[in-house]
Amino acid sequence: MGSSTMEITILAFAHARENLGFSTRTVSCDPEESPRTLMARIAPGADLRHLAVALDSGYVSWDGPLGQARELALIPPVSGG
Amino acid sequence: MELEIIFTIEPIRTGPVELPSREIGSVLEFQGLVREMEEGKALAGLFYEAHGPMARRVLERHFLELHAGYPVVAVLFIHRLGWVPVGEASLFMRVLSSHRAEGLAFLAEAVIRLKQDVPIWKMAAAPGLGNEGASSG
Repeated sequence: MGSSTMEITILAFAHARENLGFSTRTVSCDPEESPRTLMARIAPGADLRHLAVALDSGYVSWDGPLGQARELALIPPVSGG
Repeated sequence: MELEIIFTIEPIRTGPVELPSREIGSVLEFQGLVREMEEGKALAGLFYEAHGPMARRVLERHFLELHAGYPVVAVLFIHRLGWVPVGEASLFMRVLSSHRAEGLAFLAEAVIRLKQDVPIWKMAAAPGLGNEGASSG
């Protein structure tokens, strides 16, 4: 990890929370890191196949950079209404 | 378009319709109720949680996109969070428009989009971890 380490808060909702065992967790990360590599580092083996990911309340790709995002949300299939 | 988005842990209660202009010709109200049978099991209710700020943002984007095609005048959207007993409303929408066609289309499409990517979840039981899932906002 480079010198530009920052912190990001991970929010896990619904089934993602049940599977990962936490609802909120703040971790160190690198802006160049992707959501996928971050999750592989903090939750090795976690099944992400059915989850979407959002940075600062906007959907993003699992493989793009975290950039300056402060919040990463793990979004299981939605079921509102 | 007047747009109001509300998340609440209280039972949904709405006041009388206030018409923003004398050109309103259609008032549509929709309630989504919690049903007893879910995947073959009888439930007492459902527990709803949301990523409140993100759900609001995604809904606003959908409503603005829909407004371009269906120019309604006012939208009130209320979604309940936390425990909702069978028979009570988890969702309420009120759409005001000049003509019924755009209001009906807006309402139908809005509910479809709600179920596509708006971060709201229902579960058969309250979460056991942390229990702060019902983040309104």
